Amino acid sequence: MVMSDSKIRDKCTTNNDLSNGECAGEMHTEEKVALLQAQTRRHFLRNLTAGVGTMFMGTLASQGAGPVKATELASDGTPRLDFTRDPSRPLAVLPPQFAARAKRIIYLHMAGAPSQLELFEYKPELTKLDGQDCPASFLAGKRFAFISGVPKLLGSQYPFHQAGTSGHWMSDRFPHLERHIDDLCIIKSMRTDQFNHAPAQLLVQTGNARLGYPSLGSWVIYGLGTENQNLPGFIVLISGGKSPDGGKQLWGSGFLPSVYQGVQCRSHGEPVLYLQNPQGVSRPLRRSMLDAIDEINQQTYAEFGNPETITRISQYEMAFRMQMDATDALDIHQEPAAVLTNYGSKPAESSFANNCLVARRLAERGVRFIQLYHWGWDSHGASANEALNFGFATRCRETDQPIAALLSDLKERGMLEDTLVVWGGEFGRTSMRENRNGQVMKFVGRDHNPGAFTIWMAGGGIKPGTAYGETDAMGYEIVKDPVDIRDLHATMLYALGFDHHRLTYSFQGLDQKVTSVKPARIVAEVLA
Amino acid sequence: MKFSVRQLSGRTRLGLLALAPILLLFALIVLLPPDGVERAEWAQFIGRFHPLTVHFPIALILLVPLLELTGRIRRFPDSRVAVNFVLALATFSAIVAATLGWCLARSGGYSGSLVTQHMWGGVSVAALCWLCWMLRGRFPGQRWDFIYALGLVVAVGLVPWTGYRGGQLSLGKNHLSEFMPVGLRSLLGLSNREDNRSTSSMGGPGTFYGARVQPLFTSHCISCHGEDKHKANLRLVNYDALMRGSKQGPVIKPGDAKGSELFRRITLPPDHEDFMPKEGKRPLSADEVKLIELWITAGASGTQPADAIKGAPTNAAPVAAEVTFPELDVVAVEKIRAPLALAVAQLQKRFPDVLEYESRGSADLVVNVSLMGARFGDVDVATLEPINEKIVIGDFSGTGVTDRSAGSIAAMKRLRVLGLMHTKITDATLQALGGLDQLESLNVFGTDVTPAALGVVVRLPKLQHLYVGDTKIPANVPVSEALRGKLTF
Repeated sequence: MVMSDSKIRDKCTTNNDLSNGECAGEMHTEEKVALLQAQTRRHFLRNLTAGVGTMFMGTLASQGAGPVKATELASDGTPRLDFTRDPSRPLAVLPPQFAARAKRIIYLHMAGAPSQLELFEYKPELTKLDGQDCPASFLAGKRFAFISGVPKLLGSQYPFHQAGTSGHWMSDRFPHLERHIDDLCIIKSMRTDQFNHAPAQLLVQTGNARLGYPSLGSWVIYGLGTENQNLPGFIVLISGGKSPDGGKQLWGSGFLPSVYQGVQCRSHGEPVLYLQNPQGVSRPLRRSMLDAIDEINQQTYAEFGNPETITRISQYEMAFRMQMDATDALDIHQEPAAVLTNYGSKPAESSFANNCLVARRLAERGVRFIQLYHWGWDSHGASANEALNFGFATRCRETDQPIAALLSDLKERGMLEDTLVVWGGEFGRTSMRENRNGQVMKFVGRDHNPGAFTIWMAGGGIKPGTAYGETDAMGYEIVKDPVDIRDLHATMLYALGFDHHRLTYSFQGLDQKVTSVKPARIVAEVLA
Repeated sequence: MKFSVRQLSGRTRLGLLALAPILLLFALIVLLPPDGVERAEWAQFIGRFHPLTVHFPIALILLVPLLELTGRIRRFPDSRVAVNFVLALATFSAIVAATLGWCLARSGGYSGSLVTQHMWGGVSVAALCWLCWMLRGRFPGQRWDFIYALGLVVAVGLVPWTGYRGGQLSLGKNHLSEFMPVGLRSLLGLSNREDNRSTSSMGGPGTFYGARVQPLFTSHCISCHGEDKHKANLRLVNYDALMRGSKQGPVIKPGDAKGSELFRRITLPPDHEDFMPKEGKRPLSADEVKLIELWITAGASGTQPADAIKGAPTNAAPVAAEVTFPELDVVAVEKIRAPLALAVAQLQKRFPDVLEYESRGSADLVVNVSLMGARFGDVDVATLEPINEKIVIGDFSGTGVTDRSAGSIAAMKRLRVLGLMHTKITDATLQALGGLDQLESLNVFGTDVTPAALGVVVRLPKLQHLYVGDTKIPANVPVSEALRGKLTF
């Protein structure tokens, strides 16, 4: 049926146009006749259903902003929060479920998993036992990435001291961050159930160790939208010379509409690849081209109603607006020399320092979720760059000053009040020295330990100058107040004004949520 | 004698036909009453047509006495001719309406006396209609006429009685008095407090029950055993309702914790079928169970003072802090937003993405115009005037706002957070802000503010943070120790 009149439909792209005559008015008489002959009962019936659909969409579009409507019931019998928006503005701001303490998140993911025993976990007992055989109880039933046989215990490679008025123990590796130690809430009892980088990173970023789930940033902009419609609401910045193992799925939108996925930007060179117009294409030309494409996409959407079409339209439009704003936001040349010095930032290269500075600029511009990855913390000791006594120290140097500068900038601008900053890897490192293939290795390193690791949070809604959780004397296993990744997510969402049970999206018959189906606990003890 | 249905009149045959569903309906109400359980969606779907169809029998029944009475007037000689027909229609439509009503009640999660009364009323109306239809003019004699008239009067009287209960079911218990003008209300002797639930003196805030026990029910139980949803017809909303118990009787036996159904259910093994709260909901902690046990053992009183029971676990030192969330009340939120909803909508249209409610449960507003930059100036601040009182967070950083807006900003009396970073404001604006007694955070980073402005700021009662970096205020400015702790340079 569609084939038979396809020629006519080429002239006039939807059947609605055929019937209402808007298009027909411009046609020759014989074409009109042909058109009328092509109209069948089937067309009539089809238009009839399309009309009902249009009326339905009309009621959706007429709903005002600021929804409080929550009439639909979720599977647990509570009313479902309404996250529907005008389809042409999928990133429109929605109020949080309750008054929030934080309105944005800067997540500093130290990809590769930094050793907590060289940074925040002061374990003098372990240092005393350095070089001794690891007790058998540490090995029973455990799986390791590389450790085999009986490894030796390994004391911290760096001296520790107490810092700030809170008196937290920390090593000498973060001299700049020490300024902010009283702003941090250090959680020493994080645990995960993944001991390889990619799934562990996926778990941290999406709440699930398998592919196909929306990242935390996607959930957040799905729930809250973003204030700046000229920039993506969820921006990803990568440094350390390597993308994180989890790949682009770490900022993917999973089953959420793809408009909510993270957009990777660069602090050096073109901020977003292929964003600028090619030579010979002017901005007005680009505009008229987009207008035509948008119109066709709108027609496609009117016909099939696939939300991905709307995603496509809004992404094109955002890219057009971003041509101006993203370039400006990511241009750190604009910063005064003193600021660049504070961050240790050199605009000509790509670095974590630059990314931290960009993160502050994006936060100022209303970007909701800013995700940084810095690779290189995988200190197995297999090479100098992977060693606790070499590469690890370099990573500390690369990140210490920029993070401190970022916290200082946020603090003095009053933005630490409503920005939640999270620092951490995807798991911890063993209390034993790695002995790859049972051999003593040239460099000092530790293997993966999903059983315990340390993260810190600072800013909006978080109690500053606190520590939570405890590990045993060896820093190997949690003895008090374990925090699962889903607990962390629930706590972060709480700071943003959501009960994690209620930030849901219906998919495959389930009210999906970032904390998934296992019970998650909001760590109330770390909340301000 | 040979009996044949054919010998009966058309009316009798139809009447017998109608009797069957009426009897069936009585049987359904008795055997399958509404029990608060939601059932098949299709049944709910057709049940939802009950409010629509029910108006047909109502109108038709009320028409009958009208026809009977007007028929006595000479001008309407034909009125009474139609009565039989109207009665037949009324009977059949009442049967249809009652059937749909039963579907709705049985499958829509209803229970309680209200719905039961409504159902009995409805089906009785149908039965009375049928009776009137059968009796009318069939037997000679005044006695039969009187019975007919009596049936009719009762049916007509039952209609508003039943309908009122139907209204209560769909619109709320106090649907007629809710919006009644105060004058009429006092004329009728109704109390002006709509909420007569709180009139009970039992379980007030000073009592052990009110202070310690009810909060447990409120946080753990009322999502299923509340006013709106009341599984097993148990409402744990206040002392009276608790002691009234469930459809199976009292749930609290004063003095006997072990013998109290409520206590039995919260102390069962968590995987037991009867365990409360049901799966998925957080069980009560050991301390909370202990508290309820002590309260029941001490007599389950509603008046005992809060400190009367010795050895009751205190609220302090919970095993693990728990975050709870109040349920959003959509209707209440819309109500509190209503007065300014139009102004808010207009401003949202004028300034997209900068004005939003602080949360889904709040009528307070957050204004962040910092992204508009110089496109937002003093003229625009003045347009926020209608919503001034509702703004709790205002970020004007980086905009064209100057001292000319000082008055407008000072009128935002409920501001908690005010951002004026990187604007042209000076001390003059700060000096105008002395009345912002809710202000907790003030940001003047990167402005020309001088130490002279600190005099006003120091008097703001709730101020916690004052961001004065990159201003004319030097880091070594001499200020009081109290203010020093609030300054961020």
